[in-house]
Amino acid sequence: MPEEVHLALKEVSQNPDYNREVRPILSDKCFSCHGPDANRRQAGLRLDRAIDAYSELPESPGKVAIKPGNLYKSEVFHRIISEDSQYRMPEVGSHLSLSAREKAVLIRWMENGATYLDHWAFVPPFKVKPPGFAWPGMENHAIDRFVRQRLRDEGWQLAAPAAREILLRRVSLDLTGLPPSLEELDAFLRDPSPEAYEKQVDRLLASPHFGEKMAVHWLDVARFADSHGYTVDRLRDMSPYRDWVIKAFNDNMPYDQFCREQLAGDLDPRADRAKRIATAFNRNHPQNMEGGIIEEEFQMEYAADRTNTFGEAFLGLSLGCARCHDHKFDPVSQQDYYQVYAFFNRVKEAGQISWNSAVPTPALMLPTREQEEIIQFIRGRIDRHIGSGDSLRAAGDGRFRHWLNTNGPSLLAREKVPLAGLMARYTFEGKSLRPLGGPMPAGRMKTEAGMDGGKPVFTPGSQGLGLQLDGDTYLDLGPAGVFRKAEPFTIGMDIRIPKEFREGVLFHKSEAERLYNFRGFHLYFRDGQLEASMAHTAPSNAITRIAKGPIPREKWLHVALVYDGSGTAKGMKIYLEGKPMEMVTTMDQLTKDILFDRNPEPGLQIGAWWRGLGFRDGRVDNITIYSRELSSFEVSTLAGKDNWRSMVTNAPAALSPVQQATLRRYWENAVDRKLRDHKDTLTALRNRLADQVEKIAEIMVMEESPFPPKTHILGRGHYENKGKEVFPATPAAILPFPEHFQKNRDGLARWLFLPGNPLTARVAVNRFWQVCFGKGLVDTPGDFGNQGGMPSHPELLDWLAIAFRESGWNMKWLIRTMVLSATYRQSSWVPKAIREKDPENRLLARGPSERLSAEMIRDNGLFASGLLNKALGGKSFRPYQPNRLWEINSAVYESDTGSTMYRRSLYILIKRSVPHPLLSTFDAGSRSFCVVQRQRTNTPLQALLTLNDPTYVEISRVMAQNMQAQPDERQAIAESFRRLTARRPNSAELRLLIGLRRQQEKAFRSDPRKARGWLHTGQHRYRPGLDTARLAAHAVVISTILNSDAALTKR
Amino acid sequence: MDRQHTTPSANWLRDSEEAQRKINRRDFLFRTASGLGGWALGQLMASCQGTELPAAHGVSAEAVGSLLLPHFIPRARRVIYLCMSGGPSQLETFDYKPGLEKYFGKNLPDSVRNGQRLTGMSANQSGLPVAPSLFGFKQHGQMGTWISDLLPYTAGVADELCLIRSMHAEAINHDPALTFLQTGNQLPGRPSMGSWISYGLGSENRNLPTFIVLVSRDAPKDQPLYARLWGNGFLPSEHQGVQFRSGPDPVLYLRDPEGYGPEERRGMLHHLDRLNSLQQEAVGDPEISARMAQYEMAFRMQTSVPEVMNLSDEPEEVFDLYGKSSREPGTYAANCILARRLLEKDVRFVQLYHQGWDHHGSLPEHMISQCRVVDQPTAALIRDLRRRGLLDDTLVIWGGEFGRTVYSQGRLEPGNYGRDHHPRCFSMWMAGGGVKAGLTYGRTDDFSYNIVEDPVHVHDFQATLLHLLGIRHEELIFRFQGRRFRLTDVHGKVVTNLLA
Repeated sequence: MPEEVHLALKEVSQNPDYNREVRPILSDKCFSCHGPDANRRQAGLRLDRAIDAYSELPESPGKVAIKPGNLYKSEVFHRIISEDSQYRMPEVGSHLSLSAREKAVLIRWMENGATYLDHWAFVPPFKVKPPGFAWPGMENHAIDRFVRQRLRDEGWQLAAPAAREILLRRVSLDLTGLPPSLEELDAFLRDPSPEAYEKQVDRLLASPHFGEKMAVHWLDVARFADSHGYTVDRLRDMSPYRDWVIKAFNDNMPYDQFCREQLAGDLDPRADRAKRIATAFNRNHPQNMEGGIIEEEFQMEYAADRTNTFGEAFLGLSLGCARCHDHKFDPVSQQDYYQVYAFFNRVKEAGQISWNSAVPTPALMLPTREQEEIIQFIRGRIDRHIGSGDSLRAAGDGRFRHWLNTNGPSLLAREKVPLAGLMARYTFEGKSLRPLGGPMPAGRMKTEAGMDGGKPVFTPGSQGLGLQLDGDTYLDLGPAGVFRKAEPFTIGMDIRIPKEFREGVLFHKSEAERLYNFRGFHLYFRDGQLEASMAHTAPSNAITRIAKGPIPREKWLHVALVYDGSGTAKGMKIYLEGKPMEMVTTMDQLTKDILFDRNPEPGLQIGAWWRGLGFRDGRVDNITIYSRELSSFEVSTLAGKDNWRSMVTNAPAALSPVQQATLRRYWENAVDRKLRDHKDTLTALRNRLADQVEKIAEIMVMEESPFPPKTHILGRGHYENKGKEVFPATPAAILPFPEHFQKNRDGLARWLFLPGNPLTARVAVNRFWQVCFGKGLVDTPGDFGNQGGMPSHPELLDWLAIAFRESGWNMKWLIRTMVLSATYRQSSWVPKAIREKDPENRLLARGPSERLSAEMIRDNGLFASGLLNKALGGKSFRPYQPNRLWEINSAVYESDTGSTMYRRSLYILIKRSVPHPLLSTFDAGSRSFCVVQRQRTNTPLQALLTLNDPTYVEISRVMAQNMQAQPDERQAIAESFRRLTARRPNSAELRLLIGLRRQQEKAFRSDPRKARGWLHTGQHRYRPGLDTARLAAHAVVISTILNSDAALTKR
Repeated sequence: MDRQHTTPSANWLRDSEEAQRKINRRDFLFRTASGLGGWALGQLMASCQGTELPAAHGVSAEAVGSLLLPHFIPRARRVIYLCMSGGPSQLETFDYKPGLEKYFGKNLPDSVRNGQRLTGMSANQSGLPVAPSLFGFKQHGQMGTWISDLLPYTAGVADELCLIRSMHAEAINHDPALTFLQTGNQLPGRPSMGSWISYGLGSENRNLPTFIVLVSRDAPKDQPLYARLWGNGFLPSEHQGVQFRSGPDPVLYLRDPEGYGPEERRGMLHHLDRLNSLQQEAVGDPEISARMAQYEMAFRMQTSVPEVMNLSDEPEEVFDLYGKSSREPGTYAANCILARRLLEKDVRFVQLYHQGWDHHGSLPEHMISQCRVVDQPTAALIRDLRRRGLLDDTLVIWGGEFGRTVYSQGRLEPGNYGRDHHPRCFSMWMAGGGVKAGLTYGRTDDFSYNIVEDPVHVHDFQATLLHLLGIRHEELIFRFQGRRFRLTDVHGKVVTNLLA
């Protein structure tokens, strides 16, 4: 045995604990080749399970990797101590190696019998009674009992309680993100009762700012942002979700409900608006609108993001590692990954979201109360109006008979195609793209992005000439075909489909294909079937119907799209050869209008669309556009299958009932003034409704697709490599998914809260612990797996986990319990020796201390200066930001003005591609992915920011101005100091600050120009008549306090 | 500087040598903080970054590896990356395809495309007509490197270039492709190349950030940029790229309030320092000195940054060399001069972005103007570095996130065409520090569609870049979420043929 291993053996414990000491080494150094990942496993050896480790080595008969208690028969022993680089493990290519100490631990463990234990985090928590001994004169708080017991092992004890003002600042910042006011401080300092602190905690828990503070942490997890991320990075408003989170915390919603509503609020039979808004959690991920992306690739990316976030947020597992291969360290196979993915893969959404600012679907409409009332009112009128149609029709008998008897029908017989409502008709005779009569201009050939498409190619048509298409160039009929969703229309044409044609658009009214998520309407041919669609934003704010095929090819056919203006699927029909086709509805959820509201509005385009498949080598002829819904009979006349002549030759009395009815229908629809007016009024009312609906804000939410796609294991995580089909389930090694649970997100959410789930409660209490103590009991809050950190106090973690569950997942109770502990209330000062032995404060021999978060630094200053606008919730706002910052993303930033500017920092607009430096400089993330723990770094850019950002210069001046009102400078400085730090400055500090004021004032007096920035930065104006040199000098004093440790650090 | 992870071992407190070593290091740093002054502290903290983190994980072998960073003698000490965002066409710049004329307008043979995926922009076109380059190529330099007539100045430094015509990437669209090129992963969240290098090698300049980013103002903003391209990902944020911008605020918040002078600022910081010292005496937290060091560095930057940004001390002939637009702050040409100045100050990694290379339509017209903007300053930068003796240990890189298709996106006309994204092959060059000058490496097929010889994957390029800096790419790692992350993920091999 090498000498250093020999020496190390003397140092390591006699009986190394498997979970704490051995497994971390095995996991980190061995599992990547000899662990759960079956595909990458080397030599068929698994070292993560005893049964495999003790068995005969597949490639070395007669040998075993580990022979418990027998070092020399354990191949592992020989391999790890070998000097031969060919033989030694870990092998050279892995770039891993074992230290002498690590070797010693493994050796000792094997000598002792190589006992394997289950990974602690995968075993359900076990409730241990808090250590029973009590400390004289101390409260017997459970947390403290666990912490004290661990400290006693070191011969340490809890530090002294923190000074009262420091403690109140700590708990105020932790619970509300705001410092205490002077009044609150004084009240607390004056309160002699033993419950003084408890009262403060309860006050803070009841404050509406509690929800805001907790939301900041959760919004990091939920990757909440105000922009779509990815290149173009347009803004989107998800603030109703943020407000839901704030309210949930303020209402003390139980944690199980909190999670269930976010994961599956839409599936609750009592789903209301709030529950649906909560599901925005799963739509917060970035969305891509880049022009050339592949739809499926990003649909996959979104579902994967949800899956990964689910793993990290609720289970504390890096599930994402198993997307491409079995997890290297944890018992999560690639199949497990896609089984969880299958829960999140059932949303009908676009991979490429619309290029305009349309909210990606599915989305929930969020009408204001006023909008709701207006809409109800218009809806009522529409219903009444439709109701009045029957009597109007019934009263038309006389007029109809009069029309019949005055030769009305015989005029019809002369019509080649129906003339009533005909907007345009194109027959291409004479090689012309002009319509026959009517106000529409001639059509033009165009190609991608509306560029000139060259000369039309004419070809023998169904009659005379027709138009030949190439799939890239389209016939643009300009203003013809522009209809709103309330306006009935009919579009007919003759088509000839070539033999080899697979798919492409026949005609459409839109700007492009998916670039604008199919806004408008279209008729599409795919795999021998016709699809009609009308969309505000596809795929979920749309009507989509598929007509059953097959459609003959190499033959002239008449197709027509007939729509009644109802905005529903049943109002949209496809006719083939004059006959209505049998249709299947795949989406019937069109809530908003289908126009771009652009000038010129794109009109009907025939045969191709930008960036989509066109009617390649197809031919068209006889295009007709009507601004009304043609009757079935009329469509058949359009198709040349029937005509009115058969009816008009008869005397009215000789008409069959069917003929009568057909004529009656035509008469009502196209002739009778009263009934036409009635229809026009209906359309006008519906348009008014649409105008109102258009203004309603929307938010992306979850919604199960009526036809969810299948889920496959994807080889290497790539959307194109579809493997075996899998179904929703959870990783069995954590907890199998119960048979009787619904295999949907609601079932998944319930699974999280089954008593047997080992992770949910631990992960949650650990994160709340982190909120209060700065660092979790497990210091890898996003990784409770084999590679994660061990809990510093495992029994405390489990006690908290179970107590949390038993409290009914009461979040306020949990936080209250934590901050009432003596552990939390300790001073953060500690003797150097302890600090050096435990620099990270894992053993909790002192109170928490850390630099304020980005949000807190700003809010603290705004609060101290009195500028803070405490309004709760609402849209994100834009504080000061250096010019041109958004330029890299081709956007312009304009800051808000007035009091909006001073709103709390959690409402600062987050544009993912260009994070606000106020936030990002102080380690707030870009919110592009789930973050369960922020970094805490220290850089010169932070110093520049708090010194020079207008926010802080302005705060300094406003506080300086407040100081001018006080006669005693010492007192004025002391008070400002206290506002910013909660404590009074000592005399040395005061002396220093007064000295600074003198020095700076002198400079400002000698050259008043030096004070300009201090006096004029920001929108706030100082009171006229003040001594400006003194004002500026005091502003410098405030800025100095604000930049000092006492202000920047929570102690 | 909080650490995200500590050793998971249970006995770390009592008997872990790693914990002890960490404590010793801190102790050492704080003792020097008082001895050498805050400046030295900031410097030490920065240069120890690469070593301290792995050590904090208790992974001794890795700690030793990183303590020895660089792993071997580097060939390059600094890097300037001229990032041509948008994907410049290889067919009009460096990948000469003389035989294409006869295919003009004919569909790209299926045998060449071989079913490979196309973007959503041209996948639905009814044809893929081959568009030969409208621009001629000539051989240049002693090695006879083929370079397009659009790049006459670059052609003039042909013998300095190490040209790779066989780069290939995976993503087919800008955001994922550029993110991949810069961070080794298509999705957001990983540190960028410059951050890795800052983390690995630390700083050689105590007055400027290690990793600096410049963005041309005179480029068409076709494809937007996003700050995560120079983001630190999960690395500590001191390794993020700092954008230097033309105009009065070259670094965010660098400027003191209007009129406020350095004397007054110094006075204020002096008082802040004393205030913090009092606090440190009372609370005993060493983080306070670490923070104060950052304030001092900030103060130094207030002088050093405007100094380096101010080109007025450059002689006329420099502006002549870089071209007319170099007199205008913020242009590509001015940024090239600025980059050279930063390199002279031993800034480790300068990344210069020039947008406007995304030519889906009217490519010839756009290529003419883009090349006109970048050609002269790029070549001038190389000449300038050469004559100052800096090129030998400075690596210059030029290229975009992918190439472009040989077929025309949209309609092909005799004098006009567009090209779609093409990750299967593209051209890129390096020059200086440790690469073979005059080399043309890799070959594509007759359509510049597939690579037929010596492919260089983006991860290979990244591995080679790190190698030139003296870093073994498999060993520059950071532990995050339970796994070891690298710039090159689990891939990448050093392309030794490129090394001088």
